[in-house]
Amino acid sequence: MKNAIEIKNVSKQYQHKKAVDNLSLTIKEGSIVALLGPNGAGKSTTINMILGLTEPTSGQIKLLGKAPKEKSVRNKIGAMLQEVSVIDGLKVRETIDLFRSYYSNPLSTNELLKISNLESDQNKFASDLSGGQKRRLGFALALAGNPDVLFLDEPTVGMDITSRQIFWETIRSFAGSGKTIILTTHYLEEADNLADRVVVINQGNIIADGTLDEIKASTGMQHVSFTIGENVTSDHLLRLPGVTDVQQTGRRVKVYGENTDQILFSVIRNNIDVSDIETHKSGLEDAFQSLIESSDSKGEDNYASIYRTV
Amino acid sequence: MQAFIAQCKAELLRSIRNKRFIIFTILFPVAFYFIFTSVNDANMKINGVAWKAYYLMSMTAFGLLNSSISSLGVKMAQERSQGWVRLLKITPLSSVAYVGSKIIATSIINLGIIIIMFLVGNFGKGVDLSITKWVSCGAWLLLGSIVFLALGSLVGTTKKPETAQPIASIFQLGLAMLGGLWMPVVTMPKLMQDIAHWMPTYNFAQGPWRILAGQSVDLNNIWILGGYLVLFFLLSSFIFKKQNAE
Repeated sequence: MKNAIEIKNVSKQYQHKKAVDNLSLTIKEGSIVALLGPNGAGKSTTINMILGLTEPTSGQIKLLGKAPKEKSVRNKIGAMLQEVSVIDGLKVRETIDLFRSYYSNPLSTNELLKISNLESDQNKFASDLSGGQKRRLGFALALAGNPDVLFLDEPTVGMDITSRQIFWETIRSFAGSGKTIILTTHYLEEADNLADRVVVINQGNIIADGTLDEIKASTGMQHVSFTIGENVTSDHLLRLPGVTDVQQTGRRVKVYGENTDQILFSVIRNNIDVSDIETHKSGLEDAFQSLIESSDSKGEDNYASIYRTV
Repeated sequence: MQAFIAQCKAELLRSIRNKRFIIFTILFPVAFYFIFTSVNDANMKINGVAWKAYYLMSMTAFGLLNSSISSLGVKMAQERSQGWVRLLKITPLSSVAYVGSKIIATSIINLGIIIIMFLVGNFGKGVDLSITKWVSCGAWLLLGSIVFLALGSLVGTTKKPETAQPIASIFQLGLAMLGGLWMPVVTMPKLMQDIAHWMPTYNFAQGPWRILAGQSVDLNNIWILGGYLVLFFLLSSFIFKKQNAE
């Protein structure tokens, strides 16, 4: 499979801050990648550089094998940028038609109206739409050219819960069709549901990159808990293969390790006297928090800015 | 090409739907024309030209000045601050097509303003000119308004639309007054007359005023307008480049 995006040793230096620091990333065609990270981590700067909106200070970026600013590349990409923007003096349908005219192979107007659920509002002026509706119009505009690569930078900000659910369902239906989707979101469970690869960025660097399961496992946050018999001690458990830590409260223990299946397997094979077994897989949020915390040298200053699920 | 035509159409539609735009570019000039040809004797002579014909050219120039500065300047500042231009940047639409479509659409509107004003003058006040004079006055005004489109794009470099609007108004009112579009230059004190002769608006309206008086084209008018055009164009492209590099 070809690469949709290739980023090689890219840095972006602003006057007082290095927003992106020697970042390299390759994204294959057809994959859905979530970029996660706290505010100011460099996610949007990275997306803007991939889109050719911001020039990198150094390094190389290829989008669909070419420079991002090439017209043939622009014809094959679409994006919802962070700031919501509509044009005044044009109706919804007219705005969509205008955008369609830019591309050589656009989706039909009716299809776009349907996808964005704006059919009943097509004759309203775009500037009269509500915040959530403007976002949906932005989504229709991003899809106008039937893009191969779709960028969604915080697409659900300002949408209510129902709109968000419908929105992600639409995205999911696109995901199967071979399109590459790059998204950033504040809502971790959304990334959790959709992305098949998660790239965590902090302080301009990639600090984790993998499938959701890999990311969750790599933080060592998974554990098995059970009640141990009279003659079992935590030392026994620590000696088992795959166990990294044991915490005991009375006779209840939590056994930490990267692979909970392996831990259980060892427990049973060694005939250890346990009951009431529970396994805990950490959510993406736990994994995310622990990743950010361990990568932050400054520590507590940044805790406040860590994303929270709603 | 298809994108360019669609862009031109959209720009036309947006201008026509913009009430403020219509008020400043057509209603005000028409209203001023009727008021000042009624309170003054419509047939008095200014430089040998009937006031009703002289002032028709002044007010047409005023409408064109307003339309050119606000449609390019204020709109561009708005679209940049609202992130619309950023969104366009990732589409295949080129920046040349973006600015070009605004220039073409505004020129079509400007042609419309000229025709409406001339019809108003002809049927409303009985301004009677030969076809040659109507056409040459109209052509001069249409071509000359390019200078104010360039001034508009300079105003469009303003980062905030809240600032662009007053700046545009200052240029529109200031240049109209100082260039003798509201009151004929000959009625001004000496110092104001000297200033007026260097204003782009004066040199812009001087073309049709001279045509009405049966005089030949004054090259000075063309040189001064050309100078302003180059100045505005260079300044705005310099600022745009600088902003894009950020």
